[in-house]
Amino acid sequence: MSESIVRYSSRSRARAIKSFLSNLLGHAGAQLGLLCLVFFLVLSAVPNILVGPLETVATATGDFLVPPSSQHLLGTDEVGRDVLNLVVHGARISLTIALLATVISLVVGTTVGITAGYYGGRVDVWLMRLTDFFFVMPSFVLALVITPVVLEVMGRGREILGFRPSLFVILVVIGITSWAFVARIVRSQTLSLKERTFIDRARVVGSSNLSIMVRHILPNLVPQIAANGALVVAGAIYVETSLSFLGLGDPLQPSWGTLLSLAQRAGAASTGAWWYLGAPGLCALAVSLSFVLVGNALDDTFNPRQRVIP
Amino acid sequence: MPDTSDILSLESLKVHFPIQGGLFDRVLGRSAGAVRAADGVDLNIGRGEIVALVGESGSGKTTVGRVITKLAQPTGGRLLFEGRDMTSAKGFSALRPYRRRVQMIFQDAYQALNPRHTVFDSVAEPLRSLRLVKNHAQLTERVSEALSAAGLNPPGDFFARFPHELSGGQRQRVVIAGALAVKPELIVADEPVSMLDVSIRAQILQVLVDLRAKHNMALLFITHDLPLAWLIADRIAVLYLGRLVEIGSADDITFNPRHPYTVALRNATPQIRSDASRFELPALQGEVPSAARVPKGCRFHPRCPLAFDRCKEEEPPAIEVGPQHMSACWLPTSGAKAGLSTPNLKSADHGSV
Ligand SMILES: Nc1ncnc2c1ncn2[C@@H]1O[C@H](COP(=O)(O)OP(=O)(O)O)[C@@H](O)[C@H]1O
Ligand code: SF4
Ligand SMILES: [Mg+2]
Repeated sequence: MSESIVRYSSRSRARAIKSFLSNLLGHAGAQLGLLCLVFFLVLSAVPNILVGPLETVATATGDFLVPPSSQHLLGTDEVGRDVLNLVVHGARISLTIALLATVISLVVGTTVGITAGYYGGRVDVWLMRLTDFFFVMPSFVLALVITPVVLEVMGRGREILGFRPSLFVILVVIGITSWAFVARIVRSQTLSLKERTFIDRARVVGSSNLSIMVRHILPNLVPQIAANGALVVAGAIYVETSLSFLGLGDPLQPSWGTLLSLAQRAGAASTGAWWYLGAPGLCALAVSLSFVLVGNALDDTFNPRQRVIP
Repeated sequence: MPDTSDILSLESLKVHFPIQGGLFDRVLGRSAGAVRAADGVDLNIGRGEIVALVGESGSGKTTVGRVITKLAQPTGGRLLFEGRDMTSAKGFSALRPYRRRVQMIFQDAYQALNPRHTVFDSVAEPLRSLRLVKNHAQLTERVSEALSAAGLNPPGDFFARFPHELSGGQRQRVVIAGALAVKPELIVADEPVSMLDVSIRAQILQVLVDLRAKHNMALLFITHDLPLAWLIADRIAVLYLGRLVEIGSADDITFNPRHPYTVALRNATPQIRSDASRFELPALQGEVPSAARVPKGCRFHPRCPLAFDRCKEEEPPAIEVGPQHMSACWLPTSGAKAGLSTPNLKSADHGSV
């Protein structure tokens, strides 16, 4: 009998997921955004197959600052590296940082938001003060303060979770400065969810507070978290690009922001090397825009029919 | 000395919600008063007894039910379960034994079910959280059993359904199944059929009545509908503005009411009013006053056609007016007949409550 439960249940869920997808894909914006994201995800999944290993000064093959040609589709940089090669490899770094930072931000933000909204009272007051503090904290200042400390403590050469220290700092800084946004949204949703009768029923049938938060409130927050999560990724890409542009990135693991920064220092703007600045810049723009499009479509899909989606 | 044959007793139970005053009040440290949702309720429920709590909307019925199910904390009085004081019991682990024995059915079953949980999950939740089963096979068996008892057959067909895939009656049956899955000794049912189609009300009521017959389960049946209360209950308690005004056997309250408010309620019900009545009263005038401004003296006096001077000053205590029959009105002792012989009362015509 328990097998049949699983079977029925998965069939029913499959049906729900199918109708959800068809609704989501009804948005032109979502189609465009998803297409673009899939493209960049493929780039960052298999960069070596597409453009070979990351070129360095030693392995650079081209001349300096050559405009796009059949040999170098996006031209070369000031030391003769292929810009296409750099941008494709940069996709991996940029997307990984943005996605991991978003995970940190969603986990922290959701936990703080649910706890504050559910318990209310003094817990809420203090957690929201903390949230407001992080909400107004500028990521640039935080990054500038933390980076030297981490570099001093960890040493420049070491890697943390596969990231060189400065990238790790960027990741953490984005996570720290973006969770407050999520926490506020989750809290306000929790405040209205906890007044629903099914929470009363959960109490009467003996569920613990933790189980009410995890099994009753969290699943009903998924739409908001998903829609806002996409916006957080867009913001993370933007912040990552800006922090790296300011020189906080790592030249050995160049992200799009790092490339922009290198291009700037190489005088790409004044020498008319538009390909060098344009390629990473447009990529960063396209990806954050795609996440915004997908986020808005998710919001649209979930909101008007929130109650019918299981 | 609490009567231990009662499963539950409320002793002058009070629930006052403080009113959030304006800035002015707060600066002056002035209290803005309170909503007196329950204002001294005394009620006993025996084992396997069905008691109906009847009153107009806003009279505090839900609040009393929420105190009994520990969803609301009383601000005064006591809640005794089998003679043990449960008034200040708190925390889900401390309440677990109580939850096993006292369950609740809600007015709006759609709201009472998590839209993202399947029927199986909803009915299994109490069994899991109250640790009443040891393994999945046992869980499935208890869930099936409960769904069957609530009239959802074959139970397996409902396991994977979501609330929005069910009819209103089926949803209420799922809520009932969840409550009875733990085999409680008392169920508080807060207007369980008021939002359902008339055609399925009888079936749902039958499920509740069967529970008492089979498992000797006690039931506090909350309703605003006097005939319904008479149909299902052994005893009826009539609530007005947070206080019981009359309590007695279902027959006495319905056919031999003593409190003017109960009489008015009864007269507003065409099915019953054709019966020989003890005394005629004009229909109730005006609205139920707000629980934030409970009238002084007898709280019913502004609407009572029989009110006299004493009613405006002193609150009448509950007085025994027959076997197992209490009424909180000055009339039975001080000149009821005088009030009743007032000619203009007889000529007045009736409307509805
Ligand atoms: N949480 C609350 N805060 C303030 N007032 C409340 C609250 N719950 C109920 N009340 C008030 O208490 C009174 C009784 O409400 P309720 O118990 O829901 O009555 P009923 O179920 O008989 O309609 C009403 O005046 C209502 O507005
Ligand atoms: S005490 Fe007076 S006002 Fe109250 S119900 Fe009796 S007669 Fe009416
Ligand atoms: Mg109510």
